[in-house]
Amino acid sequence: MDPILLVLLYSSVAAAVAAVGAAPFLWRAQLRSEWVGWSNAVAAGLMLGAAYALMVTGVPRIPPSGVIGVLIGLVFINRLHAAAGTSEIDLNRLEQTSPEYGYQVLLINTFHAGSEGVAIGAAMSVSLPFGVFMALAIAVHNIPEGMVLTAILRGRDVRLGAAAGLVVATNVSQVLMAIVVYALVMAAPGLLPWALGFAVGSLVYLVLAELLPQCYRQAGPTSIALVTIVAMGIVILLAGVGT
Amino acid sequence: MTASPVVVVFTYGLVTALATGLGALPFFFVRGLSARAVAQANAVASGLMLGASFGLVAEGTGFGAWQTLVGGVVGVGFILVTARILRSHDIGFGHVRGIGARRMLLLMVVMTVHSFAEGVAVGVSFGGGMALALAIVVAIAVHNIPEGLAISAVLRPQGMSVAQCAWWSVVSSLPQPIMAVPAFLLVDAFRRILPYGIGFAAGAMVFMVFEELLPEAYGQEQRAGVAVTVTITLVAMLVFQQYL
Repeated sequence: MDPILLVLLYSSVAAAVAAVGAAPFLWRAQLRSEWVGWSNAVAAGLMLGAAYALMVTGVPRIPPSGVIGVLIGLVFINRLHAAAGTSEIDLNRLEQTSPEYGYQVLLINTFHAGSEGVAIGAAMSVSLPFGVFMALAIAVHNIPEGMVLTAILRGRDVRLGAAAGLVVATNVSQVLMAIVVYALVMAAPGLLPWALGFAVGSLVYLVLAELLPQCYRQAGPTSIALVTIVAMGIVILLAGVGT
Repeated sequence: MTASPVVVVFTYGLVTALATGLGALPFFFVRGLSARAVAQANAVASGLMLGASFGLVAEGTGFGAWQTLVGGVVGVGFILVTARILRSHDIGFGHVRGIGARRMLLLMVVMTVHSFAEGVAVGVSFGGGMALALAIVVAIAVHNIPEGLAISAVLRPQGMSVAQCAWWSVVSSLPQPIMAVPAFLLVDAFRRILPYGIGFAAGAMVFMVFEELLPEAYGQEQRAGVAVTVTITLVAMLVFQQYL
C-alpha cells in the first residue's frame, strides 16, 4: 500500500476509535465527576507518554531545530487559545449548558486533535512501526477524551448517536494534520525535527494547560497522580520494549 | 602521586554533590516571592523533575525496560507510603511547620533517594575505566545544578535562606559519593540493579510532581502560565541531559 494511504488508514482508525468513548452512555445516563477527572488523567498520561516517545524514541538526541519546534508548538497553541478566547476554559463542566460553552468545547477538542495529528504524521515519517505505535497510543487516548466530550454533550440533551458522531467529527482534524505533516516531511525531510518538536511542544502544553488542571478538582491529587502515571508508564514501557 | 581509585571515586562523587548547591544561586537575584512566583517556582521544579525522569527512564530502558518498570512501581509506592506517614505526624522542617514542612520534607526524601540511583550510575560508569572520569564528573556535576534549582524552588518560598537552600541541595546529593564507591568496586553486580534504581528514582520524582507540585502550582497561577513553564523546563532539562 502507498505509505500515505497507510497514514490515512491509521489516523482515521485513531479518529474513529474516539466513538468508543460514547459506549458507556448506552447503559449509564451520566458520568460521576470523579470518573470525568480520571478519564482526563488517563488521556493526559497517554499524551505525556506519546511526547516521551517522540522526544526519546523518535530521535537519538533532540537537535536545535527540534527545540525551536517545541517553542513554536507551544507558542502556537498558546496564541491559538488566546485568539479563540479559550485559554482559561474548564473542559469538563457537565452542568454548564450555554451555547457558547458548547461551541468552545468542540473547538478545543478540534485543536487537540490537530496537534495529535501532527504527532501521528511526524512519527509515521520517522518509521512506519513508530507511526503505527503513535497512532495506537493516540487512538486509546481518544477514548477517554471522547467519553468526557460525550458526557458534556449528553448533559445538553444531544442524542447519543449524534454525540458519537460529533466526537468523531472533532477528530477529523487529526486525520487531516497527519496527512499534511507526513506529506510535507516526505517532500522536505529536513522538516522532520521541526515537526517532532512542534508535536512535543503542543502535546505537553495541552496536557498541562487543559487536561490536568481540572482533574484535580474532580478527584483527589493522589488518585489523579496514580492514574496519570500508570497511563504514561504503559506508553513509555511499550516504547522502550519496542525499540 | 597515586591516590587509591576508591578515594578518587569518592572525591569525584563529593564534587558532583557539592555542585548541587549551585542550584540555589539564582535565588540571590529573586527577591520578594509573590503567590504567583511561588506557583511558578513549583512549575519550574515540576518541569525539571519530569524532564530528569524522562532522561532517567530513557537510560534505564537501555539496561532493561521491565526492570525499570518494577523500580518505577516501587518508587511510586515508596513515596505514596512516605507521604501518608508524614501526613499523620506534625512535621517541622527548619522553622516551618504544617503543610509547607511536609512538602519540603517529602521533596528532600524524593531527591535524596533519587541520588542513590545516580550514585550507582556514577560508580558503574567509572567501572568502565578511569579514562573518561573527568568528563563524567563534569557532566554529572553540571546535571546536578538544575536538581538543586528544583529543591531551592520549593524550599526558598517557605522562608529558607539561600544558604540553607544550597545546604539542603548538597545534602540531597550526598548519597552520590556514598553509593559511587561500592558500585565502582562491584560493577557487575550493581550494573544489574541499576535499571531498578533508575526506575525507582524516576517513579518517586514523577509521583511527587503529579501529587504535590502541580496541584500547588495550579492553585496560585493561571493554567497557561503553569503549562508554558513546565513545558519549557521539561524539554530544557531533557536536552541538557542528552547533550552532556
